[in-house]
Amino acid sequence: MLESIALIIAGGPLNLWIQSIYWLWPILEITHFIGLSLLLGGLIIIDLRMAGHFREFNLTATHKLLPIVFLGFGLNLLTGVLFFCGDPLRYSVNISFQIKMVLVAFAGLNALFYYCKINPVIHTWNTAAESPPIAKAVAYTSLITWTGVLLCGRLIPYLGTG
Amino acid sequence: MFSALENTSVALWVGQSLWAYPILLSTHIVGLAIVVGIFAMRDLRLLGFFHGLCPTAFLPLSKMAWMGFIINAISGFLLFTSQALTFISSTPFLLKIACIIAGMAMAGVIQSKLRGELANSGGEAVLSGSIKTLAAASLLLWIAAIIAGRLIAYL
Repeated sequence: MLESIALIIAGGPLNLWIQSIYWLWPILEITHFIGLSLLLGGLIIIDLRMAGHFREFNLTATHKLLPIVFLGFGLNLLTGVLFFCGDPLRYSVNISFQIKMVLVAFAGLNALFYYCKINPVIHTWNTAAESPPIAKAVAYTSLITWTGVLLCGRLIPYLGTG
Repeated sequence: MFSALENTSVALWVGQSLWAYPILLSTHIVGLAIVVGIFAMRDLRLLGFFHGLCPTAFLPLSKMAWMGFIINAISGFLLFTSQALTFISSTPFLLKIACIIAGMAMAGVIQSKLRGELANSGGEAVLSGSIKTLAAASLLLWIAAIIAGRLIAYL
C-alpha cells in the first residue's frame, strides 16, 4: 500500500517542490525535533502523573498540557508527510519507517482506549491512593511506545530497506 | 589533543562499529526529548500557560531532566570522539554547546527561584517578571540548541 502511494507521489509537483528547496529539509527536521519535544514533554508529565508519580501535580490539571501535545503531534504529522512526499520511494520501503508508523498507530489506539475507558472515571479516583493498574498500564504503554517511535525515527537512515 | 581523542579505542569503536553510531544517535534523541520536553513545559508554565498546574510541582521533575541531560552528555561525548576534529571546528556545534551550557545554567537559576517561591508561599507561587524573562530565555536557548544541532550536518 505504502509503495503504491509512493509511486503516485514520486515525480509529482509536491515531490519536486520539496526537492527543489535546499533549506526546506533542515527546516522540516528542526520543526520535527521541536514537535517531538513538545509531544514527549507533555506526555512525560501526563503519563507519569497518571501512573502515580510526581503527585505534586494535580491529576486532572495535567490535562491542560494536552493542547501542546496535540500541537507537537500536528507539527510532526505535517512535517512527516512532507518528508514522505520529498523522498517517497526511500521511506515507503524502509523497515524502520514502517515499524515507526505501526507504533504511532498503536500509540493512537492506546490514547483512544484512555479516552474511552479511563478519562470518564478519572475524577472519581482517590488521588492519594495508588493509581489503578489499568491506568498505570496505559501510561507506561504510551511512554514506551513513543520512545519506540523516536528510536525507529532516528534509525530510518541506518536500517536497510525492505 | 582532539586528534589524539579521535584515535582512542573508544572513538575508533564509535566510528567503525556498524551499530555504535546509530544506537548513540537514537539514545541522544530520547535524551533530547526528556531534557527539552520537561524544560519546555516548565518554561511555558512560567510564561503563563497551563493555568492550574502548580509551577513549583516542576521542582521534583527537574531530576528527571538532569537524568536526560546526563544520558545526552555521555552519548554526545561518545559521538563527538569519533569526529572530534570536525566537530570542534564546526560553528553550529560550538553554538549548540554554548546554548546547552546557558540552558542548564538557566535551569539552575529558575530552580533556585522556584524553591524560594515554595518556601515563601507554600506552593501557591506568584510568578514574578524576572522568572518569566528567565523562562523565555531558557525556551529560546533550547530551541536554538536544536536548530544549531541539526545544522551541524548542513553547514
